[in-house]
Amino acid sequence: MYRTIQIFLVALCLIISAFATGARAQEDIRPLVDALGQGGFPQKIEAVGALAASGDPKVAEILGLLSDGKLFAPKTGGAVFLETDSGYADVLTGAPVTDVPGNLQKIRLNNGLRGAISAAMSQLTLLSPDRGARFAAAQDLLKEANPENLDLLNSALAKEQDAEIKATMEAARAVILLKTDASFEDKEAAIATIAARGNRDAVNILNAAFSSAPADLQPAIQAHIDGINQKLAIWDVVQNIWYGLSLGSVLLLAAIGLAITFGVMGVINMAHGEMVMLGAYTTYVVQQTINSAAPELANFSLAFAVPAAFLVTGLIGIGIERGIIRWLYGRPLETLLATWGLSLILQQTIRTIFGPTNRQVDNPSWMSGAFDFGGMSITWNRMWIIVFSIAVFFALLLLLKRSKFGLQMRAVTQNRRMASSMGIRTPWVDAFTFGLGSGIAGMAGVALSQIDNVSPNLGQNYIIDSFMVVVFGGVGNLWGTLVGAMTLGIANKFLEPYAGAVLGKILILVLIILFIQRRPRGLFALKGRAVE
Amino acid sequence: MITQMLLRNHDKKVLWFALAILAAAVLVPLSNLLLPAGNPLHVPDHMVPLLGKYLSYALLALALDLVWGYCGILSLGHGAFFALGGYAMGMYLMRQIGPRGVYANPLLPDFMVFLNWQELPWYWYGFDQFWFAALMVLFVPGLLAFVFGWFAFRSRVTGVYLSIITQAMTYALLLAFFRNEMGFGGNNGLTDFKDILGFNIQAGGTRATLFAATAIMLALALLLSSAIVKSKYGKVLVGVRDAESRTRFLGYRVENMKLFIFTVSAMMAGVAGALYVPQVGIINPGEFAPANSIEVVIWTAVGGRGTLIGPIIGAVLVNFGKSIFTAAFPEFWLFALGALFVATTLFLPKGIVGTLQQFAKARDERKVAAAKEHAYQEQAAKSAGEDGLASAHTQAAE
Amino acid sequence: MTTVKPAALKTTNSILYLDGVSVSFDGFKALNSLSFVVEPGELRAIIGPNGAGKTTMMDIITGKTRPDEGIVYFNGEVDLTQKDEADIAQLGIGRKFQKPTVFESHTVWDNIELALNRKRGVFATLFYKLTPEDKARIEEILETVRMTARKDDLAANLSHGQKQWLEIGMLLAQEPKLLLVDEPVAGMTDAETTETAVLLKEIAKTRSVVVVEHDMGFIRDLGVKVTCLAEGSVLAEGSIDFVSSDPKVIENYLGR
Repeated sequence: MYRTIQIFLVALCLIISAFATGARAQEDIRPLVDALGQGGFPQKIEAVGALAASGDPKVAEILGLLSDGKLFAPKTGGAVFLETDSGYADVLTGAPVTDVPGNLQKIRLNNGLRGAISAAMSQLTLLSPDRGARFAAAQDLLKEANPENLDLLNSALAKEQDAEIKATMEAARAVILLKTDASFEDKEAAIATIAARGNRDAVNILNAAFSSAPADLQPAIQAHIDGINQKLAIWDVVQNIWYGLSLGSVLLLAAIGLAITFGVMGVINMAHGEMVMLGAYTTYVVQQTINSAAPELANFSLAFAVPAAFLVTGLIGIGIERGIIRWLYGRPLETLLATWGLSLILQQTIRTIFGPTNRQVDNPSWMSGAFDFGGMSITWNRMWIIVFSIAVFFALLLLLKRSKFGLQMRAVTQNRRMASSMGIRTPWVDAFTFGLGSGIAGMAGVALSQIDNVSPNLGQNYIIDSFMVVVFGGVGNLWGTLVGAMTLGIANKFLEPYAGAVLGKILILVLIILFIQRRPRGLFALKGRAVE
Repeated sequence: MITQMLLRNHDKKVLWFALAILAAAVLVPLSNLLLPAGNPLHVPDHMVPLLGKYLSYALLALALDLVWGYCGILSLGHGAFFALGGYAMGMYLMRQIGPRGVYANPLLPDFMVFLNWQELPWYWYGFDQFWFAALMVLFVPGLLAFVFGWFAFRSRVTGVYLSIITQAMTYALLLAFFRNEMGFGGNNGLTDFKDILGFNIQAGGTRATLFAATAIMLALALLLSSAIVKSKYGKVLVGVRDAESRTRFLGYRVENMKLFIFTVSAMMAGVAGALYVPQVGIINPGEFAPANSIEVVIWTAVGGRGTLIGPIIGAVLVNFGKSIFTAAFPEFWLFALGALFVATTLFLPKGIVGTLQQFAKARDERKVAAAKEHAYQEQAAKSAGEDGLASAHTQAAE
Repeated sequence: MTTVKPAALKTTNSILYLDGVSVSFDGFKALNSLSFVVEPGELRAIIGPNGAGKTTMMDIITGKTRPDEGIVYFNGEVDLTQKDEADIAQLGIGRKFQKPTVFESHTVWDNIELALNRKRGVFATLFYKLTPEDKARIEEILETVRMTARKDDLAANLSHGQKQWLEIGMLLAQEPKLLLVDEPVAGMTDAETTETAVLLKEIAKTRSVVVVEHDMGFIRDLGVKVTCLAEGSVLAEGSIDFVSSDPKVIENYLGR
């Protein structure tokens, strides 16, 4: 009961003082500012405290200028001036001042003064109306955990409304409490508060507190540490799976178009990576166009880029099929070489038009940043790419299973001559199938432009991996591609912590080479006479 | 037995071509060393290693042609065997530097000193001896090809699948050799060589000798390939290429047939790499890049796969073109190379030599057909005789 | 796979013995407990509708496909389910494909030379030299299949019928004890068909032959025991007249 009253009173005081400071006019702090230029360091420290207590919104800026060494005062004491590029200015208004005293010198700082400034600053930011500033200050406090800030923290905690900031502040308070000679119960509660954060920082804090903690508190700390570590280990696995799915979804996007051209048509398209690259450049062009023509749509440029990339690469794909590949059916190795040549031409074309350097493609606001999920942080762009790749996968599955075009495509795959004599225009089915595969590669490029560098070599980085996915998953089955992509993605991420990124990749390649020896046609292979 | 096989009835054209290469092995060094710089027949100093590089590429293309042109195995990883041979030679050349390195360590190459390594890794032992390095030039690529092929051919991985996993193989090696921990100099590779067999590697005489060695090796490899291709084994290989299951049902172990030629070819590629490195002065992981291996394929395709002379001509022509292009219009080289890939597969599937042979054959056939009109009956009666047999063999050689 | 060798089998001296052989592809039963015996020196014809399992049966005998269950014995003692194609070919089983398969970029002569029953290892072929006996043997085979005049031509330039004959010649060169022939007269003229029947009968004098064919006239020309397959097992077996009067055979095959 007593505590409640106390808190209430403190809060009341704070509210009153806040009103009071708000009501005070700007000019009222001028004497306080000028006091910074007078007397020795103890007086100045006092002046800083007085300024901070005034609660004026300009105070933080002034203190910042002070610590940057931008404030000048006459040697003998008097008005304080701000040094600018062209001369001096009034500290409060910023208006240039020409008639300054001749004996101006920089207000010097010592450690005591610096400490006072920093304490005043965190006090000010802790109470700042800006949420971001408050959060940053709270996190700073948590990091430094200076017992001197305890009172300040208590008063800020009482005022704080935002749950996240409040939790940080409480953690900071708990860490500080552990350093003071607070009661056993308080410390126990503090440990629980820290442990409730459940992350690696909490383990570090508890570890640091462990040695200095009283002996009867140590078992509790150890138990909390173990508990958190166990939880973290589980989250580590979850995190790895998540990273693996994220990589897998990228592989899926890159490989699924290949699975169509390779699986359905038996065509090895070495220029597939370049289709991905072209999709990424289409995104760049679309974004540039929208930024200059209709900036208000900038956040939705991806919505235009996806169909644009699909159309551009799809049409190029149809062109490639009609121009080159159709002459090479039945000669898969020659197709491989011709499309490789094509990939060189496409790369060099893009290099000539856009230059060899990376192009900047911006993330829209809804794809930037991250959110926390349990013990891990999930970036929005990865999240959306997973969603996108799954959507593309199922849309494609639906297209193949339900549409007339899909039916014709499957008919041509199974028996070209029969399909042709049933009146299916097999050349056009071929062309559109290749266009579809290329178009999907283009859409993959849109997604990749959000997480990778958009350069002429973009496709090269994915082509071998995509081949591995298709070969591993098995040809002629989209589910195989899905399982293959996700398995490789997750396996990669699980190997990385033990073997390192490069060695992990080498291991995966070796494993796939060995796997192909066991199952030459992949996980989901067609069986029987149809294969021959 | 092997020498006897080497001297067996070769195709005349191949024999002449081998002699021409041997002539170059003598004439180019002589012209470079003896003729004054102003003479129109003088081969300038910078041309000698360049020509040597072309010829080592030609050897690589020939090796690829043995597996691709004659056995239908499109390897997209032959650059790996070439690079391994090159690294074996590079390791020898590194050990020859001795205490003349920047850090003057008598045992450790500079990059190891730089990485703070204390002792020589075990796999660097023996490379101070030329004979050992030469053995490794054959052994390491051969072993890799043998192990890889043993797995791949036994489980009947064929066609584009095989191509893709050979590409994955060289890609994996590329990644591995980029790592400093591997002990092969990381991404800088091996370079700054001083001498070979005691001769200064920069000296004109050494360079001329290296060129001659490359040309002689190429000629020998050509004769060896010709002997292989003309033997019954060579005919089985072509059988595997054209009708693998028929070969199998005739009782041939297709996997062994493939494995042998794949291993021989990898060793040839290793020799090519070993000859390449001292003339170019560096070997780095870039040689493992999948793009390099595919480029070899196009040299072979341009010249004419399934012929022995074709890949040699193709490798020299394309690389000569590359030298000119990259000097004059560097921007356009990739366009030209890409167009070459597309045009060759679309319009010149048999390559230069293959197409010429086709013309020649068509001309011959017209002549023969005219003769046949008169003497068909006679020929039919006589065909069981001696000359029929001989002509069967010359024809099969192409 | 059930490959326990029954003791009774030792006593049978059949050249080919299949019992209870089943195999399925993705749920489709290509062979359903097929049992089938060929005696030494026998010429046997097999008929049956498409999908009856004729080609699959040949795949199993030659080691291309492994059966899910059942036993396959050659010469009464060799378990064929444990061998691969090359082994089985070297044991003495030759196979002619439905589509003529010859080495198109080799001459007719080389085709026969490659098929000749000699050592087939890498080094044996690498250092092989044509001996007078081999030469005589090749010439003899060329004569048998009436190809002497074309021995220097590339196989690619032969007509369809000639390719069929060349392939039969290659099988002869292989000197098999058992010859499996898949549709040898498909795409042949009537005259060629009659000649092929004569040739096969001649070949069957020295070895066992199994012929799969659709052409009933050709089967009649052969005049041998006929087995009719349907849906992966034996429907009827006996002389051509007996089999073709069987109501089940008429319903399943002939009647259609």
